[in-house]
This record gives sequence, C-alpha cells and structure tokens, in this order.
Amino acid sequence: MLICTGCSQEEEKELMVESNNEGEIIIVAVGDSLTAGYGVAEEESYPDLLGKKLKSDGYNCRVVNSGVSAETSSGLLSRVGWVLGLNPDIVILETGANDGLRGIDPEMVEKNIRDILFRLKEAEVITVLAGMKMTLNLGPSYVKKFNSIYPKFENEFDIIFMPFFLKDVAMKNELTLGDGLHPNGDGYKIIADNIYPYVLKAVNKKQNL
Amino acid sequence: MKRVVNGRFLLRELLYSKKQAAIYILCVALSLVSLIAVNSFRRDIDRSISGDALALHGGDLILHSHYDLSEGLQRAVVELTEEKKATAVRTWAFYSVARKSDESGSLLCNIKVVENGYPLYGRVDLASGREFFQVLGAGKIVVGQGVLDRLGIAVGDQLQIGKSLFEIADVILYESAKPVRFFNIGPPVLVSYKDLAGMDLVKQGSRIAYETLLKMADATAVNTVAAQLRERGLVGQERVETFRDAGSGIKHFFDNLLFFLSLISICTLLLAGTGIESSLSAMLRLKEKNFAIIRSFGATGAYLLRHYLLFVLILSAVGIALGIVAGLLVKGYLSVLFSDFLPQDIVFRSSVADLSEGVMIGLMVVLFFTFLPLWRINNIKPVVIFRSESSRAKKTFSYYLCIVLGFSGLCVLLIRYLGEVSTGFYFLGGILLLLLIVTQVTRLTLYFLSKIKWRRPEARLAMRSLLRPGNVTQSIVVTLAIPLSLLLIIYLVENNLRGTYIDSFPADAPTLFCLDIQKNQQEAFRELVGDKVTLHPVIRARLISINGKAVNRGRELKKRRDNLAREFNLTYRDALLEDEILVAGDTLFRKDVKGEPVLQVSLLDTVAEMGDMKVGDILQFNIQGVKMEVEVSSIRSRTRSMLYPFFYFIFPGKYLREAPQTYFAALHVESEEIPFLENRIVQSFPNISTINIAEAAKEMGRMMQKLSKIVNFFAAFSILAGGLIIVSSIFAARFERIKEAVYYKILGADSRFVLRIFFLENLLLGLLSSVFAIVMAQVAAWSLCHFFLGIPYVPGWGASLGLVGLTIIFVVTIGLLGSIPAMKKKPGRFLRQLN
Repeated sequence: MLICTGCSQEEEKELMVESNNEGEIIIVAVGDSLTAGYGVAEEESYPDLLGKKLKSDGYNCRVVNSGVSAETSSGLLSRVGWVLGLNPDIVILETGANDGLRGIDPEMVEKNIRDILFRLKEAEVITVLAGMKMTLNLGPSYVKKFNSIYPKFENEFDIIFMPFFLKDVAMKNELTLGDGLHPNGDGYKIIADNIYPYVLKAVNKKQNL
Repeated sequence: MKRVVNGRFLLRELLYSKKQAAIYILCVALSLVSLIAVNSFRRDIDRSISGDALALHGGDLILHSHYDLSEGLQRAVVELTEEKKATAVRTWAFYSVARKSDESGSLLCNIKVVENGYPLYGRVDLASGREFFQVLGAGKIVVGQGVLDRLGIAVGDQLQIGKSLFEIADVILYESAKPVRFFNIGPPVLVSYKDLAGMDLVKQGSRIAYETLLKMADATAVNTVAAQLRERGLVGQERVETFRDAGSGIKHFFDNLLFFLSLISICTLLLAGTGIESSLSAMLRLKEKNFAIIRSFGATGAYLLRHYLLFVLILSAVGIALGIVAGLLVKGYLSVLFSDFLPQDIVFRSSVADLSEGVMIGLMVVLFFTFLPLWRINNIKPVVIFRSESSRAKKTFSYYLCIVLGFSGLCVLLIRYLGEVSTGFYFLGGILLLLLIVTQVTRLTLYFLSKIKWRRPEARLAMRSLLRPGNVTQSIVVTLAIPLSLLLIIYLVENNLRGTYIDSFPADAPTLFCLDIQKNQQEAFRELVGDKVTLHPVIRARLISINGKAVNRGRELKKRRDNLAREFNLTYRDALLEDEILVAGDTLFRKDVKGEPVLQVSLLDTVAEMGDMKVGDILQFNIQGVKMEVEVSSIRSRTRSMLYPFFYFIFPGKYLREAPQTYFAALHVESEEIPFLENRIVQSFPNISTINIAEAAKEMGRMMQKLSKIVNFFAAFSILAGGLIIVSSIFAARFERIKEAVYYKILGADSRFVLRIFFLENLLLGLLSSVFAIVMAQVAAWSLCHFFLGIPYVPGWGASLGLVGLTIIFVVTIGLLGSIPAMKKKPGRFLRQLN
C-alpha cells in the first residue's frame, strides 16, 4: 500500500494501490507515451495486453501501467521513488525516446538511465530494460551516439535487456498511428508478443529467488 | 374607364406626410447603406482573411503524410499539374541535429526542405532584403536568427546537416507559414530540395512530415478537388485539407470571425426591417381616421391599398436612391476615414454586383416588413372614425400566403448569409421563438401591472395610458426590445470573441516556455532566470471515472477537440491564481476542523463542461499507477489569455507534494534575448527543453490585432446604424405620445402633471424594452457562443446594465422632447395640425 505524506488515516483508503493477492507478482511498466498507450484505448496498450497474456498463461502477475506521455529520462529519474512506492517485483523500463526526439545530449540520457537502474538495483527490483533506437532524421552522428547507450547497460547491471522496444513496428504505417511514431492496436500486439519472453525471464527469475 | 391610380390623391398624401415619410425614407436609406457596406466589406474582408489563411498554410490544398505520398495520390497531383489545373510544391519537414563545421557545437533544428516555387502563398523575408528564391540553392541554406545566436556563428559560416555541409546564406526574418507550427522546439532552417538526397536524412527510419502544397488555377474548385483527392488518399495515413479547414488553431478563429460577420449582416437586416416596419406603422396609424373617412366616401380597401403600396414604393425608391448615393459615398470615403482603423491591406471595391445585390435585398426587406402595416389599410372600416382604438386586420388565406412567401424569402436570405441551411433554420427558429416569448412576456407583464393599485394619480394615469384598449404599448416594447437585443447580441458576441482570441496575445504574454524542470533544479533555475518566475508543478495522470462511471476512452478519443481520455497535467496549490475566479463552490478547497484542506480537486470550467462535472462529484484518477478518489470542491474560470499557464485539475498541496512531478515555467523575455537565455538554460540544465514562442506569438498577436480592428469596425458600424434606426423608431412612435398629451391638456391637466405622466410612461417603456432585450440577448449570445462558436461565454452584465440606463435615457428624453410642442401649443390647434 502506498500512502502519500501528509494524509490522515481516513484518507489513506483513497490513495492506495490495489493490494496484491498472495504470491502475486507486481510488474510495473514504466515509460513514456509508448508505454502509456498514447492514442489507443487502455486495453490496447502493451501493459494491458501483457497482463492478460500472463494471466491466460497461468502466471499470477499484475501489470501496472505507469507510462507518462512526453516524459523524458530526467522526468522518469525524478519519479523512481513513486514507482518504487508501487512495490514492484519487476519493472519494465522504457525511456529515452522523447530525449532523442528533442535532441537532448545522449550523455545526459545515458547518465539518467544509469541512475534509474542504480535506484532499481538498490531496491532489489528485477528490471527489464527496453532499448530504444533514434529516428534517422536526427543525423548519423547523433543517432550513432544515442543508439549505443542501451547495450552498455546489459553488462553493467544485472538486467534483462530487450534490444529494441519497437522491433517490427517502428515506422511501419500499418502498425502505427497517423503520426508514424506511436503504435496502433496491432502494433501493440506485436510489442506485447516481442516483450513477452523477456518478461517471462524476469518472472522466472523472481519465482526462483 | 375607371382610373386605377388617382395621381392627385397620391401626390397629396405624399405632400402631407412629410415628416413621417422622411423618417421612413431615412430608415430605408440607412438600412441600404448598412447592408451594402456590411455586405461588400464582408466580401473584402473575407478575401483578406482568406489571404492570411492561405499564407499560413502555404497552399489552397495541403496534402499531408508521415510517409511518401501513395501512388494514387501522387498520380492525382501529377494529373492536376499536367492539366494546368494546379501548381504543386513539395516540402519535407523534420527535426535534425545540426553541427558546426568544427564539431564544437550542435543544435536541434527544425529543418524544412522545399522545392522551387515555395512558398506558393505568403512570403519568406530575408535579412539581406534579397528574394528568397534567389538565395536558396544547392549547398546554401537560410536559417532563423536563433541558429546563429545559439551556435555563435554568422552568415557565411558552414553548418553540417546530415551528410551535407551547407553555407549559411541568409537569415529568415519572417516566414508566413511559421505560426501554424506554434510549438517548435528548434529554430528554423530552410534547405533547397536539390540537397535532399545529399543530406541522406529522408529515408526509411526517419520521421518526416511530407507535404504537397497545391495552388489551384480556379479557386472555386478547391473543395471539389479536395474531395476527389481524399477519395484517392490512404485513409488514416494521408490527410487532404483545404486552407480553410487545415488543422491549425487559427482555423477556428477564422471560422468564428466569418460567422460573426454573417451575424452582423443578419442583425443589420433585421434592424433595418424593424425600423421600416415601425416607422410605416406609426405613419399609417396616424392616418387611420383619414382612411376611414375616405372609405366612407366610397373608396374600396383595394383602392387604398393600391395607392399606399405605390406610396410606399415611391418612398422606398427615394430611400433606395438615397441609400445608393450614401452607400457609394461611404464606400468611397471609408478607406480614408478608417485608414487607421482597418487593416491596410484590405482592398475596397465598389462593384455593380454589390449595389444590385444591395438594392435587391433592400427591396425584399422593404416588401416583407411593409406588408403587415399595409395589410391593415385593406381592412379599415368607415366605423373607425367613431372609435378610439386602432382597427384590427382581417386575416384571410391570402394574408397567410403572403406571410409564408415573405417568410420564405427571408429564409433564403438568411441561408445565403450563413451559407448553411440548418444554421439558417436554427437562426430563424431562435429569432421567432424569442419574438414569441417577448410578445407573450410583455403581454403578461402588462397584465400584472394592470392589477397593481397605484396610489399616485400620475402613475395611475401613466399605467392606464399604457394599458388602454387598442394601445400600441406591446408593439412599441417589442419593436424597441428587438433592435436593442440585436445590438447587445453583437456587442456580447464581439466581446467574447475578443476575450477568447484577441486578448490572448497581449504584449506581456509569455515568450519562452521551459519544460521538464526537475524538483532539485528549482532554486538554481530561479537564480538563472530571475526570482520572479513562477514554477508550476506538473503531475501526469489519467481520469478513470466520474461518479463511478468509467470514462469511455473509445468515445472520448474520437472527439475532435480536447477529450477526457488523454493524460492530464495535474498541479497543486492552495490559492487561486490572479487570473482565476470561482464560478462554483464557496472556496477553492473545503477545510477540516483543524483548518487543513481535505482531499478534493478544483476543476477549470472548460474541463467541467467536457465531462458534465459539478461540485460534489467524485472523480477517480490514476496517478502513474496510484489510484486516487477525490470530490470536486470548486469550479474555476480564467480571466486571462490562453498563453498563460493554466491547469484543468488543482489539488491541495499536501496531497500531491510527494507525487512524481516536473516543473513548468512561462517567461516573458524580449525576443532578441531569448536565444542567449536558451543557451544559458541548456548549458546549466541539459534536460530542460525550451520552446521559443516569441515570433509565433508576435505574428499571431499582429494578426489578431488586425482582425480585432475588423471586428471592432463591423460591430461599431452596425451598432451606429442600429442606434440610428432605434432613434427613428422612437421618433416614429412619438406621435402616439403627443396625441396623449393633447388629450390630457384638453381634460385640464397642467404641463408639469402631463410631463410627469409622460416621464413615468416612457420610463416604464424603456425599462420593459431594455430588460426584455437583455434577457433575449443574453440567451441568444450564450447560445451562439456555446453552440456555434464553441468559445467560453462571459455575460458582460456591465454592458447590459449600461444598455438599460441608455435606453431609459433615450426613450424618456425623446419621449419628453416630443411632447414639448404639444405642451406649448393650444390643444385645439395642435389637434387640427395633427390631422
């Protein structure tokens, strides 16, 4: 249960996270609009699809969508405490796309993600890091620097690394909304399928602890 | 053979109706002047506004996609250009990180690659004064000043974009298409299409906005061609828009402005009609006894009708001729008179079409509004000589047929003005309903007034005079209330349009937005930009349910405007901002026994309206995974520009202080200082994104000021014309009052007593008319703003009360002035003169 500072007892009930069933694994999907499900109904977003898939496969897991549209890695870093307040067993971390689209220095993005991973490690949360690749219009030099950020963490932290969150979906007009960037319902189905093995790995890791 | 028209009778009638005829002619002329002026200016201004919209969007038609155009659409464009039906220009817009040639600095820029011929409409002004198309070429780019200032380079230096190295050839001073993209993160760079391939940035894996702009050879074919292209484009991927419906925030304003101009035309039309009807009615009422005498000598009703129809037509012809001359004079001199008042680029044209249309409309208005008073002549019986009250018209089949025909004509006119059948009918329905309501309410009010026992003899007599059988009080109240309400409607709608759009771009509006300021950067950020800046905490959340009913996300996402399914920015604070007022709830938040605010949320009126939410409703939010249930404590409204930060949902500070948040700041910085401040911010806080809206805000402000002048001019012109028509209506009705004065004098009342009666009588007339006008105008203006314009409504009670005061002063002054001759003259002599 998460309680806000300053709340009286009778108010606690209004601020709590749904308490978990016995043995239920809480997976918090953290990220930007790609996680939040910008432009699609909540049940079409990947965290929702993933939760249903895990349930149908018999896993006692609950997936919480903690995506925030337009959020950068700096924003995510500042809310790690809040995310940890959700008592996650597993965090799926997807961030950095907005930093890239705003041309923010890749070194800054790298530092932020590293700090986030540290905080998650300290809290003993199993982390699935979803890598991101930048659109080519940003220029070869910037794209090269940006794309090299994510693979570095695979060896640096004990994380489960998915090389590219938008694999098979990015820039495909039939799988994205009219803006060519955000996945549509079909796109999210592919993302949920793609990320599933990585999440299963994390679930198994949790079960084996 | 019996003579159809008796020329001597007609001439005599014309000569002996000088004063009343002059008022009638004045009304017809005035209505024509205002109709011609409003109509033709409307067209001129429509042209000017269309020009602005074209310049903003760069083409008659805009084909937009995030992918290369589909084969079908490409072929359609080629067909149009080959058949010389259109000229096409392609653009590719994207963000890219541009680098200094020595790799010592980089900057995210807003790149637009353009083909020869860009822009099709509007212009690109360069600092050197050279023509844009002469400067832009292979290897040469033009950039916004921000690029130079932020990278510390100058014209002539080199810049690396993608795989190409460019020479900076010039600086963009103004680009008309810029404000459409209001929130640009980077400064602009324009690149020639010759370098498109060399940059190697437009390819699979890049995020590009592909646009094809079309300039049509035949401007009237825009909508047809747009429909054809839409059929050939890929649904959901390719957008075909016209300059009028292209998705910019300005579009809504243009639509509303044109609608407002239509509204003014209609109001002018109805004002003119009311003036004509009331002056003719007053004129004919005075002649009723004469008509009855003529009838008693054997003349038929048809004889009278025929002569008076001719009488009206002659007067109307004089009025129309006068109107045309005055209209031409007004048109000729208006550009000089209002050179400071109207935008300079408006071209005034006097066309035969404008004049003939004006005459046609004038005639239709004259015929429709003179029909009812004329019809009454047909039914005047000789017995009226012995009666004190007016005769009542017999309503036959042909009477109703004429009404229906006239009404249909009026419908056609309204629909022509509004351009839409359904809107035209809504309007007419609304106006008829208001008419019906005001007539019935007047009747009821007068009935209740008659039941009151007045003690003072003047009050009793004033009331009896107003309520006597066959009186014209009801028609005077309605005749006055309608033009008054029309004027107030124009004023209120103008005021609300201005409040929503024009005042939104004041000189001290923010010019730089800073996003993503982190909690631990607050103090340092303040130090950098100045202590006065307000940092607004921003907490992202979704609204889950209202009173336990889940927000229907599928339905909400389909809404064209804002919707409840998106993520919202919540904030927290314990007090209202200086531009906020409470519209529901006693305080921002209720407090518990300890004086602490309990968990509640305050809503902005716009979001409350979106979800039909009210004080006491229970809302459930999902704040990044945490659910929170809160009660709505109050509803706020804003009094200031939309450029200032505002939040739909505000919580008490203590509940969200620990929630994940970033901060947002809106700064007012002089435009030339912005790039340097941006540099300092980004160097100190690389995570903070800055959005420079100075140029866009300046450009929007310029345009809004120009449009504001148009709105002011039309409103002022219409109000002036309407005011004159009201004065003439009051003058027309004044003869009734004079007659009353004479009767009182005959009965032995002294002048002061009669004046007191008149004062009370006119006071009541003015009060009733203005109160009804205010009620009608408030309902109508609210409906227009709410249903047609889609803008928030501010009632403007100050103006409404001012209208009450002015009307009373008007009615009482003119009424009393009118009765002075009656006071001074001997009753017998005046009666003889009157007849």
